[in-house]
Amino acid sequence: MKEQVMAAQNTESAVHDEAEALTVAPPQKRRINRAVLSENLWGWFFVCFLVIGTTVFIYLAFILSVWLSFVDYRGNGTLWEALGEANSGGAFYWYQYMFSNTMPGYFGQVAPGGLSNFGTTLLNTVFYLIGIPVGMALSLFFAALMSRDIKGSGAFRVIYYIPTVSSTVSVALLWSNLFGEGGTMVSLFGTEFIAGDRWMQMLTVLILTTWKGLGGSILLLCAGMNGVNESHKEAASIDGANAWTTFWRISLPQLWPTIFYCIVTSFIGGMQIFAEPDLIYGNGVTDASVMPVTPFVGLIYGNYYETRYYSYCSALGIVLMIIILLLTLVQFWLDSRRDKV
Amino acid sequence: MSEELKATVSEEPELLDAVPEGAEEGAAEAKLSAWQTIVKGLCKFASLFGFGSKYYHSNKRRKKIFFDVITYAILIAVSFIMIYPFWWMISASFASSKQIMISNSAWWPKETRKDLFGNYANVITIAAQGGTNFWQSVGVTLLYSLVPVTVGIITSTMAAFAFAKLNFKGKNVVFFYCLAGIMIPGPSIMITQYCFYNELGWTLNGLAMIIPGCFGAVLTAFFIRQYLYGMPTAILEAAKIDGAGYWRIFWQFVVPLAMPAITAQFILSFIGSWNNYLGPLLFVQSEAWYPLALLVAQFESKIGSATENYPSIMAISVLALLPVLILFGVFQKWILGSIMLTGSKE
Repeated sequence: MKEQVMAAQNTESAVHDEAEALTVAPPQKRRINRAVLSENLWGWFFVCFLVIGTTVFIYLAFILSVWLSFVDYRGNGTLWEALGEANSGGAFYWYQYMFSNTMPGYFGQVAPGGLSNFGTTLLNTVFYLIGIPVGMALSLFFAALMSRDIKGSGAFRVIYYIPTVSSTVSVALLWSNLFGEGGTMVSLFGTEFIAGDRWMQMLTVLILTTWKGLGGSILLLCAGMNGVNESHKEAASIDGANAWTTFWRISLPQLWPTIFYCIVTSFIGGMQIFAEPDLIYGNGVTDASVMPVTPFVGLIYGNYYETRYYSYCSALGIVLMIIILLLTLVQFWLDSRRDKV
Repeated sequence: MSEELKATVSEEPELLDAVPEGAEEGAAEAKLSAWQTIVKGLCKFASLFGFGSKYYHSNKRRKKIFFDVITYAILIAVSFIMIYPFWWMISASFASSKQIMISNSAWWPKETRKDLFGNYANVITIAAQGGTNFWQSVGVTLLYSLVPVTVGIITSTMAAFAFAKLNFKGKNVVFFYCLAGIMIPGPSIMITQYCFYNELGWTLNGLAMIIPGCFGAVLTAFFIRQYLYGMPTAILEAAKIDGAGYWRIFWQFVVPLAMPAITAQFILSFIGSWNNYLGPLLFVQSEAWYPLALLVAQFESKIGSATENYPSIMAISVLALLPVLILFGVFQKWILGSIMLTGSKE
């Protein structure tokens, strides 16, 4: 816009004096360049902080992680020194260790089994994922109720969102007393939760994560339900469809993008579960009583905290990333197949 | 609503025309078997709630009221499930001992402390015994939540403005470069980040919790960019013609216009930082720099064996929870609106 105005001014002057217009032409070109240049410079200035932050704290950390997983570092010396030394057990030592029960964790030391821990924690993480379909079904139900033409649905949304914003640490402490030995919930349901067997212990965490995560997906589904085309619903009801059929045939297909988004994001978040089981049961890769409930990220943290196998932690982190990436791609692939049918 | 309800309930359910009337009615009723009478009675009962049947019309208004009542009943019952744990937490924080707190305070502890807020006062002394100053921890939490979030939201908004409204070479490449970063899960790189910050000495003075956040967050920038993208460009063009530089345009036009999105993202990031547990657990190695989340998590080990001190753990949980809940209560309209608009849950 600025350039156009300048050009207009210049043509005006050209009418007055053609000869002068010829001499004016080169600076005019330079002026346009200056505007473009300043937009470029300011554009780069505005994004530079985010780009530097992303580069250093995400990409550099990621590259160092990959590198670290191929060397052998457990806090001896500085990080930079360790990066320069090759792993004497072979570059893929930690990846092999992950899938083997017989390899020693650190040379000359007997360490907890790689594969058994890997398998157990992965299984636990998958068990904690059960909360996603349950939570989705529940939040779909509640969102459907809230999007009915009733008064006060906004208040319900706020109430259901309170657990989501509350501090995980406080809530986990609360849970360990409420569901702990002799706690209120134990006497209410007549069964042990935290003092019970492995599955009841994991169920306790599952109840916590579902309870805490319900508000967010209800909110998104409510927003999705507001976007469902009213005239489609009306047409269906004129054709004699009842509320139930309308929900399944009209609302649900139009809601599917929101549901899919919720499933994918909660899956990615669910694979990274750590705080809740850690706060309720503690963490330990060498502690046999805690291991049956430790999630995958707990294995990474435990290896950092107890054994200081930083390289092994990095290798586990890379594998976790690959698992999340592959399973997310599978979800997108399944979704694309659904469209074709 | 309630007057409507009364009006409809007082109405008698209308009989269908198909049912015989007048003189024939008595004869027809006599012919009905006992089974049919029961069915008809049930149908009449159903018709009170607006359901149609062989004998009675359906009534839309009654049906709506019926389903509204069920909806309210379910939603209120589940609201209770959502709220009850917090009520338990508050009531337990007044209990006089561990035993009473755990098993005798479903609604209100059987025996409260003589000085009702004693457990809250105890929090400070117990934290001090463990070597941590409670108020210092609160201050550190505020520092970790306010500084990176404030600076980070400014840098994020700057990037969002450039991505949405400026044309510069390599914009799309940079945009996707930043977006691709969110595909790397935090736990995958956290150990390397720890080693990295450790080499820089940031784990001993809390800088590891402050500096990375100051560079902004990709997701925040992305959501503000989506908000700015729909904004008309004409205002910015007009400002440009009037000779305003980009820096001035940013502060005088973009920031005020994007304020709803910025505020919502600010509060969500603040709550996220306040509640953050895994971050400080890894990146803060010096006890003087522990935020509230870590103090609460490790509080149990500081209590010792005295059971009358144990309910303090619920008191400190309430204290850690309260600021966030108040903030959420004040800004709930903005927060929920922003989540419903952008789909960002964090």
